[in-house]
Amino acid sequence: MRLNSLALRLFATSAAWTLLVLPLAGYIIYSLYREDVQLSFDAQLKKLLTQITIDSMSTTGDTPVMPPNLYEPLFEVTQSGWYWQIRPIDGAPGRTLVSPSLATAVLPSPYDRKFPTDDTGTRWMNVPGPTGTTIRILEFIDSPGHDPANTKYSIIVAGPLDWFEETIARFRTRLTTALALVGLGLLGVTVFQVRFGLLPLHRIERGLASIRSGEAERLEGQLPAEIEPLQTELNALIESNQDIIDRARTQVGNLAHALKTPLAVITNEARDDETTLGSKVAEQAQLMRDQISHYLDRARIAARAGVIGRVTPLEQTAQSLVRAVERIHGEKGIALVVTIQPGAKFQGEKQDLEEMLGNLLDNACKWGKSRVYLTATIETLQASSQRKQLRIAVEDDGPGLSVEQRAKIGKRGMRLDETKPGSGLGLSIVSDLAASYRGRLTLEASEHGGLKAVLGLPAA
Amino acid sequence: MRALVVEDDKDLNRQLVGALADAGFAVDAAADGEEGYFLGDTEPYDVVILDIGLPKMDGISILEQWRRSDRKMPVILLTARDRWSDKVTGMDAGADDYLAKPFHMEELLARVRAQVRRASGHVKSEIECGPLRLDTKSARVTCEGLPVKLTSHEFRLLAYLMHHNGRVVSRTELVEHLYDQDFDRDSNTIEVFIGRLRKKIPGDVIQTVRGLGYRMSHGPDEA
Repeated sequence: MRLNSLALRLFATSAAWTLLVLPLAGYIIYSLYREDVQLSFDAQLKKLLTQITIDSMSTTGDTPVMPPNLYEPLFEVTQSGWYWQIRPIDGAPGRTLVSPSLATAVLPSPYDRKFPTDDTGTRWMNVPGPTGTTIRILEFIDSPGHDPANTKYSIIVAGPLDWFEETIARFRTRLTTALALVGLGLLGVTVFQVRFGLLPLHRIERGLASIRSGEAERLEGQLPAEIEPLQTELNALIESNQDIIDRARTQVGNLAHALKTPLAVITNEARDDETTLGSKVAEQAQLMRDQISHYLDRARIAARAGVIGRVTPLEQTAQSLVRAVERIHGEKGIALVVTIQPGAKFQGEKQDLEEMLGNLLDNACKWGKSRVYLTATIETLQASSQRKQLRIAVEDDGPGLSVEQRAKIGKRGMRLDETKPGSGLGLSIVSDLAASYRGRLTLEASEHGGLKAVLGLPAA
Repeated sequence: MRALVVEDDKDLNRQLVGALADAGFAVDAAADGEEGYFLGDTEPYDVVILDIGLPKMDGISILEQWRRSDRKMPVILLTARDRWSDKVTGMDAGADDYLAKPFHMEELLARVRAQVRRASGHVKSEIECGPLRLDTKSARVTCEGLPVKLTSHEFRLLAYLMHHNGRVVSRTELVEHLYDQDFDRDSNTIEVFIGRLRKKIPGDVIQTVRGLGYRMSHGPDEA
């Protein structure tokens, strides 16, 4: 998960809430439970104190009665933590009674230590017991026969606090474990929720990728209501982008048409005129013609650069081009041998592929003697196994070119044989178009004798 | 040979008509798509020069409609749109050749001649017929190696017969293919020109087939 991501934001807010709420809830539950246990512990102690007070003080004399000791079996077990003790207060003479569990030990009196009484007249105190562990002591002051005139006795009942603390600690451990598990579960659910919730965004991402690679023309699929507007807007953007390009193309075409017809008229008039003015005009008109086609081609390339990609099947495009070229060069009776690997697709505009192939085939037909070969294969680039390249070779059996000529010919307007018709821009526009697709045009010697032009283009 | 020029630019139209007439064609001209379509649909042309960008009806539609109604004359498309995608569209619509503006008139004429020759089934640029030899590139006729001087009407008549050597060509066909639509079509003029031709070349080369028309005696099979 990246730092700046929707997933992290959603996850972090949810996790923060969980981390805040769970400990708080744990603390509340713990407090409630602790209070509850404390209350019931205190209630038990209080009950024992009341029983022992009633049993020992319900007498007519000034001496307390030995309580029957039936309240709690642990009063019988030595140092069990459960004790009771009846002693006269303020060091007054009188009978001292203790539980068997207390043995010889003496419990301290909260009365001696000036502890206040609660509203039932009971004093509470936590102190270390005879064995060193903390015990809770309750004390009630009463006199035998409940007669205030008699000697006052401190009646004490004690219970082990370590038992209480243990119970609470056990509960705390279990509560913490349970809440931690709930927390982990919640985080897990959050992760799932975020992933699941953001799934449509990944769909958009994939959709856009396939538009860019040219497999799709628009963002398809039913997307959630929240991002449907995004989908609509993206599609509208893609469409308007395409519109702009189409319009630019049309304008460029219109400009070409508008300029070329008068240029044709000027050229023809000038060639009929045999003065120097005539030949100058004819020469300049030719220059204008070359410049126009050069810059129109550049404009077309620029209009196309950065456009969301399209895919052009090679087979169909090549077939109709071959038909056209065969008809144009029907005079020479050149046979075109076409070998195209099935499924070969060019990642780019059909018009551009036609322009590149058309120029190469046209050249080959102009120079070839009897045969022209068009061979297309799909190659996997070694550098990255993902990207595929389309390798299109156009060869002829004509005179071919020397190494120096091949180096020279790519330059703009360079024509090696002025007698063959053509503006001489054919190969340079092919080279420029290929470059605009990050592809390239290379010239080699063909095994059939003539020139071999090889186009390396991105395959889809 | 009859040619049709469909081009909306007045100057270019005039230049094309002039150049084709000089090259020995009987030329009709149309300045918009509808007129061009109608002429091509009704008159028997041997070649058509068709601009693509035309008012009222564009060249591609015209061409497609002609081909759909089985008009098979050679059509050379003329256009400023010189991308290969445009050429492919044109060729797929049924064009025989494609010429991008601006062009050299000589190149256009060479292509026109090539189309006319191909349409009548000749592969080479020279058509031979017994002692006669027609060089379609230079529009010259020689008889046993010596140039024959011909007027433009005589040349048109002889060239048409030579293009279609080996078969009988009727007088009506000759009239239809030799004169533009405004010409006064009196078939007697054909006979007058045949008579003049027979004086300039060996008389027996052009045979009269009674009731049917004329035939060049040395067809491709006999030559």
